[in-house]
Amino acid sequence: MTAATLSLAPVEQEVTSTDEVVAPDVPWVTIVWNDPVNLMTYVTWVFETYFGYARAKAEKLMMDVHVKGRAVVSNGPRESMERDAEALQGYGLWATFEKDR
Amino acid sequence: MARAFLREHDRYVGVLESTERLVVQGLMQQTRLLLSPEIEPTGDAFDDLVASMGLSLSAADQAAAGANDSAAEADSSFDDRDPALDRLLPTAHRGDDQIAAEFRRLTEEGLRQRKSGNLDVAIECVERAVGDRVVLDESQAPAFLMALTDVRLLLGERMGMRTEEDAEALHAAMEDIDDEDPLGYAMAWYDFLTWLQETLTQALMGTDLRDVVTAYDDEDDDDLEDLPDEGGPRDGAV
Repeated sequence: MTAATLSLAPVEQEVTSTDEVVAPDVPWVTIVWNDPVNLMTYVTWVFETYFGYARAKAEKLMMDVHVKGRAVVSNGPRESMERDAEALQGYGLWATFEKDR
Repeated sequence: MARAFLREHDRYVGVLESTERLVVQGLMQQTRLLLSPEIEPTGDAFDDLVASMGLSLSAADQAAAGANDSAAEADSSFDDRDPALDRLLPTAHRGDDQIAAEFRRLTEEGLRQRKSGNLDVAIECVERAVGDRVVLDESQAPAFLMALTDVRLLLGERMGMRTEEDAEALHAAMEDIDDEDPLGYAMAWYDFLTWLQETLTQALMGTDLRDVVTAYDDEDDDDLEDLPDEGGPRDGAV
Protein backbone atom coordinates (compact mmCIF):
# COMPACT_ATOMS: atom_id res chain seq x y z
CA MET A 1 0.00 0.00 0.00
CA THR A 2 1.16 3.49 -0.72
CA ALA A 3 1.02 6.83 0.93
CA ALA A 4 0.41 8.93 3.89
CA THR A 5 1.16 7.95 7.42
CA LEU A 6 -1.81 7.57 9.66
CA SER A 7 -2.17 8.25 13.31
CA LEU A 8 -3.95 5.29 14.78
CA ALA A 9 -6.51 5.53 17.50
CA PRO A 10 -7.02 2.49 19.72
CA VAL A 11 -9.39 -0.07 18.33
CA GLU A 12 -12.82 0.43 19.80
CA GLN A 13 -14.25 -2.92 19.03
CA GLU A 14 -12.97 -6.06 20.62
CA VAL A 15 -11.41 -8.49 18.21
CA THR A 16 -10.52 -12.09 18.82
CA SER A 17 -6.92 -11.90 17.72
CA THR A 18 -4.49 -9.22 16.71
CA ASP A 19 -4.99 -9.55 13.02
CA GLU A 20 -8.36 -11.12 12.45
CA VAL A 21 -12.01 -10.49 13.15
CA VAL A 22 -13.05 -14.11 13.24
CA ALA A 23 -15.86 -15.40 15.34
CA PRO A 24 -15.65 -19.05 16.34
CA ASP A 25 -17.56 -21.67 14.36
CA VAL A 26 -17.72 -19.58 11.22
CA PRO A 27 -16.28 -21.58 8.40
CA TRP A 28 -15.54 -19.04 5.63
CA VAL A 29 -13.55 -15.81 5.56
CA THR A 30 -12.90 -12.91 3.19
CA ILE A 31 -9.27 -11.84 2.92
CA VAL A 32 -7.80 -8.62 1.56
CA TRP A 33 -4.20 -8.81 0.33
CA ASN A 34 -1.59 -6.09 0.24
CA ASP A 35 -0.76 -4.55 -3.11
CA PRO A 36 1.52 -1.68 -4.12
CA VAL A 37 -1.19 0.41 -5.79
CA ASN A 38 -4.07 0.85 -3.37
CA LEU A 39 -3.75 3.80 -1.01
CA MET A 40 -3.89 3.35 2.75
CA THR A 41 -6.58 6.00 3.08
CA TYR A 42 -8.60 4.50 0.25
CA VAL A 43 -8.51 0.99 1.75
CA THR A 44 -9.71 2.47 5.06
CA TRP A 45 -12.50 4.31 3.24
CA VAL A 46 -13.57 1.08 1.52
CA PHE A 47 -13.76 -0.82 4.85
CA GLU A 48 -15.83 2.00 6.34
CA THR A 49 -18.06 2.39 3.33
CA TYR A 50 -18.73 -1.24 2.46
CA PHE A 51 -18.72 -2.90 5.89
CA GLY A 52 -19.80 0.13 7.89
CA TYR A 53 -16.82 -0.42 10.22
CA ALA A 54 -15.85 2.43 12.54
CA ARG A 55 -12.79 4.46 11.57
CA ALA A 56 -10.56 2.84 14.20
CA LYS A 57 -11.48 -0.70 13.16
CA ALA A 58 -11.14 0.13 9.47
CA GLU A 59 -7.69 1.63 10.05
CA LYS A 60 -6.64 -1.37 12.14
CA LEU A 61 -7.59 -3.80 9.38
CA MET A 62 -5.93 -1.59 6.78
CA MET A 63 -2.69 -1.57 8.80
CA ASP A 64 -2.86 -5.38 9.06
CA VAL A 65 -3.12 -5.61 5.28
CA HIS A 66 -0.25 -3.17 4.91
CA VAL A 67 2.10 -4.63 7.53
CA LYS A 68 1.20 -8.32 7.54
CA GLY A 69 0.38 -8.59 3.86
CA ARG A 70 -3.20 -9.71 4.40
CA ALA A 71 -6.11 -9.42 6.77
CA VAL A 72 -9.33 -11.31 7.35
CA VAL A 73 -11.95 -8.61 6.92
CA SER A 74 -15.16 -10.60 7.35
CA ASN A 75 -16.40 -14.07 8.15
CA GLY A 76 -19.60 -16.02 7.68
CA PRO A 77 -21.27 -18.47 5.35
CA ARG A 78 -19.65 -19.05 1.98
CA GLU A 79 -22.31 -17.14 0.04
CA SER A 80 -21.74 -14.02 2.16
CA MET A 81 -17.98 -14.26 1.72
CA GLU A 82 -18.36 -14.59 -2.04
CA ARG A 83 -20.53 -11.49 -1.97
CA ASP A 84 -17.96 -9.58 0.11
CA ALA A 85 -15.08 -10.65 -2.13
CA GLU A 86 -17.02 -9.60 -5.23
CA ALA A 87 -17.92 -6.23 -3.73
CA LEU A 88 -14.35 -5.54 -2.58
CA GLN A 89 -13.03 -6.46 -6.02
CA GLY A 90 -15.51 -3.94 -7.37
CA TYR A 91 -13.67 -1.36 -5.25
CA GLY A 92 -10.38 -2.52 -6.74
CA LEU A 93 -9.07 -4.32 -3.67
CA TRP A 94 -7.38 -7.69 -4.01
CA ALA A 95 -9.99 -9.75 -2.18
CA THR A 96 -10.33 -13.51 -1.94
CA PHE A 97 -12.51 -15.89 0.05
CA GLU A 98 -11.67 -19.26 1.50
CA LYS A 99 -12.68 -21.82 4.07
CA ASP A 100 -11.27 -20.83 7.40
CA ARG A 101 -8.55 -23.13 8.59
CA MET B 1 -1.39 23.55 -11.71
CA ALA B 2 -3.94 21.13 -10.41
CA ARG B 3 -5.67 21.71 -7.11
CA ALA B 4 -6.77 18.98 -4.71
CA PHE B 5 -10.35 17.80 -4.45
CA LEU B 6 -11.90 19.74 -1.59
CA ARG B 7 -15.37 19.61 -0.15
CA GLU B 8 -17.53 22.60 -1.05
CA HIS B 9 -20.93 22.25 0.67
CA ASP B 10 -22.40 19.04 -0.77
CA ARG B 11 -19.95 18.85 -3.66
CA TYR B 12 -16.34 17.74 -4.13
CA VAL B 13 -14.42 20.09 -6.37
CA GLY B 14 -11.00 19.61 -7.90
CA VAL B 15 -9.23 21.85 -10.38
CA LEU B 16 -7.58 20.24 -13.39
CA GLU B 17 -6.02 22.04 -16.33
CA SER B 18 -7.06 21.07 -19.84
CA THR B 19 -3.98 18.90 -20.44
CA GLU B 20 -4.52 17.13 -17.15
CA ARG B 21 -8.19 16.55 -17.97
CA LEU B 22 -7.30 15.21 -21.42
CA VAL B 23 -4.82 12.71 -20.04
CA VAL B 24 -6.98 11.62 -17.11
CA GLN B 25 -9.91 11.15 -19.46
CA GLY B 26 -7.77 9.26 -21.98
CA LEU B 27 -6.49 6.90 -19.31
CA MET B 28 -10.04 6.34 -18.04
CA GLN B 29 -11.21 5.58 -21.57
CA GLN B 30 -8.46 3.01 -22.06
CA THR B 31 -9.36 1.35 -18.79
CA ARG B 32 -13.02 1.41 -19.83
CA LEU B 33 -12.10 -0.27 -23.10
CA LEU B 34 -10.20 -3.06 -21.37
CA LEU B 35 -13.08 -3.70 -18.97
CA SER B 36 -15.88 -3.48 -21.52
CA PRO B 37 -18.62 -5.88 -20.52
CA GLU B 38 -20.12 -8.24 -23.05
CA ILE B 39 -23.51 -6.73 -22.36
CA GLU B 40 -23.13 -2.97 -22.35
CA PRO B 41 -25.17 -1.07 -19.77
CA THR B 42 -28.39 0.11 -21.40
CA GLY B 43 -29.11 3.05 -19.13
CA ASP B 44 -32.15 1.19 -17.81
CA ALA B 45 -31.29 0.29 -14.23
CA PHE B 46 -33.53 -2.78 -14.17
CA ASP B 47 -32.31 -4.20 -17.47
CA ASP B 48 -28.73 -3.65 -16.37
CA LEU B 49 -29.37 -5.42 -13.09
CA VAL B 50 -30.87 -8.41 -14.88
CA ALA B 51 -27.97 -8.47 -17.33
CA SER B 52 -25.42 -8.23 -14.56
CA MET B 53 -26.96 -11.29 -12.91
CA GLY B 54 -26.55 -13.20 -16.12
CA LEU B 55 -23.68 -15.59 -16.56
CA SER B 56 -20.68 -14.60 -18.58
CA LEU B 57 -21.13 -15.49 -22.23
CA SER B 58 -17.51 -15.64 -23.25
CA ALA B 59 -16.29 -18.86 -24.79
CA ALA B 60 -13.51 -19.17 -22.24
CA ASP B 61 -15.90 -18.97 -19.32
CA GLN B 62 -18.31 -21.39 -20.91
CA ALA B 63 -15.49 -23.83 -21.52
CA ALA B 64 -14.42 -23.42 -17.92
CA ALA B 65 -17.95 -24.09 -16.74
CA GLY B 66 -18.27 -27.16 -18.94
CA ALA B 67 -15.02 -28.62 -17.73
CA ASN B 68 -16.19 -29.24 -14.21
CA ASP B 69 -13.89 -32.15 -13.67
CA SER B 70 -10.87 -30.44 -15.12
CA ALA B 71 -9.65 -27.54 -13.08
CA ALA B 72 -6.49 -27.44 -15.17
CA GLU B 73 -8.48 -26.94 -18.32
CA ALA B 74 -10.55 -24.23 -16.70
CA ASP B 75 -7.40 -22.48 -15.64
CA SER B 76 -5.71 -22.73 -19.00
CA SER B 77 -8.58 -20.94 -20.70
CA PHE B 78 -7.37 -17.75 -19.03
CA ASP B 79 -3.81 -18.08 -20.26
CA ASP B 80 -4.41 -15.68 -23.15
CA ARG B 81 -5.91 -13.04 -20.91
CA ASP B 82 -4.36 -9.62 -20.68
CA PRO B 83 -2.49 -9.74 -17.33
CA ALA B 84 -3.97 -6.34 -16.46
CA LEU B 85 -7.40 -7.99 -16.38
CA ASP B 86 -6.11 -10.36 -13.73
CA ARG B 87 -5.24 -7.34 -11.66
CA LEU B 88 -8.59 -5.62 -12.21
CA LEU B 89 -10.56 -8.86 -11.87
CA PRO B 90 -8.23 -11.00 -9.77
CA THR B 91 -8.70 -14.62 -8.87
CA ALA B 92 -10.95 -14.81 -5.82
CA HIS B 93 -9.69 -18.10 -4.47
CA ARG B 94 -6.03 -18.93 -4.10
CA GLY B 95 -5.52 -22.64 -4.12
CA ASP B 96 -8.65 -23.98 -5.76
CA ASP B 97 -8.81 -23.19 -9.47
CA GLN B 98 -12.23 -24.71 -9.85
CA ILE B 99 -13.79 -22.51 -7.16
CA ALA B 100 -11.97 -19.53 -8.71
CA ALA B 101 -13.28 -20.32 -12.20
CA GLU B 102 -16.82 -20.77 -10.94
CA PHE B 103 -16.68 -17.46 -9.06
CA ARG B 104 -15.36 -15.73 -12.15
CA ARG B 105 -18.13 -17.19 -14.28
CA LEU B 106 -20.75 -15.92 -11.87
CA THR B 107 -19.32 -12.48 -11.11
CA GLU B 108 -17.12 -11.23 -13.93
CA GLU B 109 -19.80 -9.76 -16.15
CA GLY B 110 -21.35 -7.89 -13.23
CA LEU B 111 -17.98 -6.58 -12.08
CA ARG B 112 -17.11 -5.41 -15.58
CA GLN B 113 -20.43 -3.57 -15.78
CA ARG B 114 -19.98 -1.94 -12.40
CA LYS B 115 -16.42 -0.83 -13.12
CA SER B 116 -17.35 0.39 -16.59
CA GLY B 117 -20.25 2.32 -15.10
CA ASN B 118 -17.92 4.03 -12.61
CA LEU B 119 -15.54 4.95 -15.42
CA ASP B 120 -18.41 6.33 -17.52
CA VAL B 121 -19.49 8.55 -14.62
CA ALA B 122 -15.92 9.74 -14.05
CA ILE B 123 -15.27 10.43 -17.73
CA GLU B 124 -18.46 12.48 -17.93
CA CYS B 125 -17.56 14.48 -14.82
CA VAL B 126 -14.18 15.38 -16.32
CA GLU B 127 -15.84 16.27 -19.63
CA ARG B 128 -18.28 18.60 -17.89
CA ALA B 129 -15.60 20.62 -16.12
CA VAL B 130 -16.35 24.32 -16.24
CA GLY B 131 -13.50 26.76 -15.74
CA ASP B 132 -11.15 23.83 -14.99
CA ARG B 133 -13.37 22.82 -12.04
CA VAL B 134 -14.28 19.15 -11.88
CA VAL B 135 -17.38 18.97 -9.70
CA LEU B 136 -18.63 15.72 -8.15
CA ASP B 137 -21.83 15.18 -6.20
CA GLU B 138 -22.22 12.68 -3.35
CA SER B 139 -22.90 9.74 -5.67
CA GLN B 140 -20.34 10.65 -8.33
CA ALA B 141 -17.47 11.02 -5.88
CA PRO B 142 -17.25 7.30 -4.91
CA ALA B 143 -17.57 6.32 -8.58
CA PHE B 144 -14.74 8.71 -9.43
CA LEU B 145 -12.63 7.24 -6.65
CA MET B 146 -13.15 3.67 -7.85
CA ALA B 147 -12.47 4.73 -11.44
CA LEU B 148 -9.15 6.27 -10.35
CA THR B 149 -8.30 3.03 -8.57
CA ASP B 150 -8.87 0.94 -11.68
CA VAL B 151 -6.88 3.35 -13.85
CA ARG B 152 -3.98 3.20 -11.39
CA LEU B 153 -4.19 -0.60 -11.20
CA LEU B 154 -3.96 -0.76 -14.99
CA LEU B 155 -1.09 1.75 -15.18
CA GLY B 156 0.71 -0.03 -12.36
CA GLU B 157 0.39 -3.40 -14.07
CA ARG B 158 1.64 -1.98 -17.38
CA MET B 159 4.69 -0.57 -15.59
CA GLY B 160 5.39 -3.89 -13.90
CA MET B 161 4.42 -2.66 -10.44
CA ARG B 162 3.24 -5.83 -8.78
CA THR B 163 4.93 -5.71 -5.39
CA GLU B 164 6.05 -3.01 -2.98
CA GLU B 165 9.61 -3.73 -4.11
CA ASP B 166 8.61 -3.11 -7.74
CA ALA B 167 7.11 0.22 -6.73
CA GLU B 168 10.26 1.27 -4.89
CA ALA B 169 12.48 0.15 -7.75
CA LEU B 170 10.36 2.07 -10.25
CA HIS B 171 10.49 5.24 -8.21
CA ALA B 172 14.25 4.84 -7.79
CA ALA B 173 14.66 4.33 -11.54
CA MET B 174 12.95 7.67 -12.17
CA GLU B 175 16.03 9.44 -10.80
CA ASP B 176 18.01 8.97 -13.98
CA ILE B 177 15.50 7.92 -16.55
CA ASP B 178 15.87 9.18 -20.10
CA ASP B 179 13.65 12.16 -20.94
CA GLU B 180 12.22 10.31 -23.90
CA ASP B 181 11.44 7.12 -22.03
CA PRO B 182 7.66 6.56 -22.06
CA LEU B 183 7.99 4.90 -18.66
CA GLY B 184 8.84 8.33 -17.29
CA TYR B 185 5.58 9.78 -18.61
CA ALA B 186 3.60 6.85 -17.32
CA MET B 187 5.15 7.13 -13.89
CA ALA B 188 4.62 10.90 -13.72
CA TRP B 189 0.94 10.46 -14.51
CA TYR B 190 0.66 7.54 -12.12
CA ASP B 191 2.02 9.74 -9.32
CA PHE B 192 -0.34 12.53 -10.34
CA LEU B 193 -3.35 10.19 -10.17
CA THR B 194 -2.16 8.87 -6.81
CA TRP B 195 -2.10 12.41 -5.46
CA LEU B 196 -5.51 13.18 -6.96
CA GLN B 197 -7.06 10.05 -5.47
CA GLU B 198 -5.52 10.73 -2.07
CA THR B 199 -7.10 14.18 -1.95
CA LEU B 200 -10.54 12.94 -2.99
CA THR B 201 -10.41 10.07 -0.50
CA GLN B 202 -9.53 12.41 2.36
CA ALA B 203 -12.23 14.84 1.28
CA LEU B 204 -14.77 12.00 1.34
CA MET B 205 -13.57 10.83 4.74
CA GLY B 206 -13.93 14.32 6.10
CA THR B 207 -10.32 14.49 7.22
CA ASP B 208 -8.10 17.48 6.82
CA LEU B 209 -5.50 16.82 4.20
CA ARG B 210 -2.66 15.09 5.97
CA ASP B 211 0.77 14.87 4.41
CA VAL B 212 -0.74 15.91 1.14
CA VAL B 213 -0.26 19.21 -0.61
CA THR B 214 -3.34 20.95 -1.97
CA ALA B 215 -1.65 22.21 -5.09
CA TYR B 216 0.13 19.69 -7.27
CA ASP B 217 3.71 20.87 -7.55
CA ASP B 218 4.95 19.48 -10.81
CA GLU B 219 8.38 21.03 -10.53
CA ASP B 220 9.95 17.62 -10.43
CA ASP B 221 7.55 16.23 -12.95
CA ASP B 222 8.46 18.06 -16.12
CA ASP B 223 6.79 15.27 -18.00
CA LEU B 224 3.40 16.61 -17.00
CA GLU B 225 4.21 19.85 -18.78
CA ASP B 226 6.08 18.55 -21.77
CA LEU B 227 3.65 16.08 -23.21
CA PRO B 228 4.80 15.08 -26.65
CA ASP B 229 2.46 15.81 -29.56
CA GLU B 230 2.29 12.13 -30.26
CA GLY B 231 2.74 9.21 -27.96
CA GLY B 232 2.82 9.61 -24.23
CA PRO B 233 0.18 8.38 -21.85
CA ARG B 234 -2.59 9.91 -23.93
CA ASP B 235 -2.48 7.24 -26.58
CA GLY B 236 -0.11 4.46 -25.83
CA ALA B 237 1.62 4.25 -22.54
CA VAL B 238 -1.11 2.17 -21.00
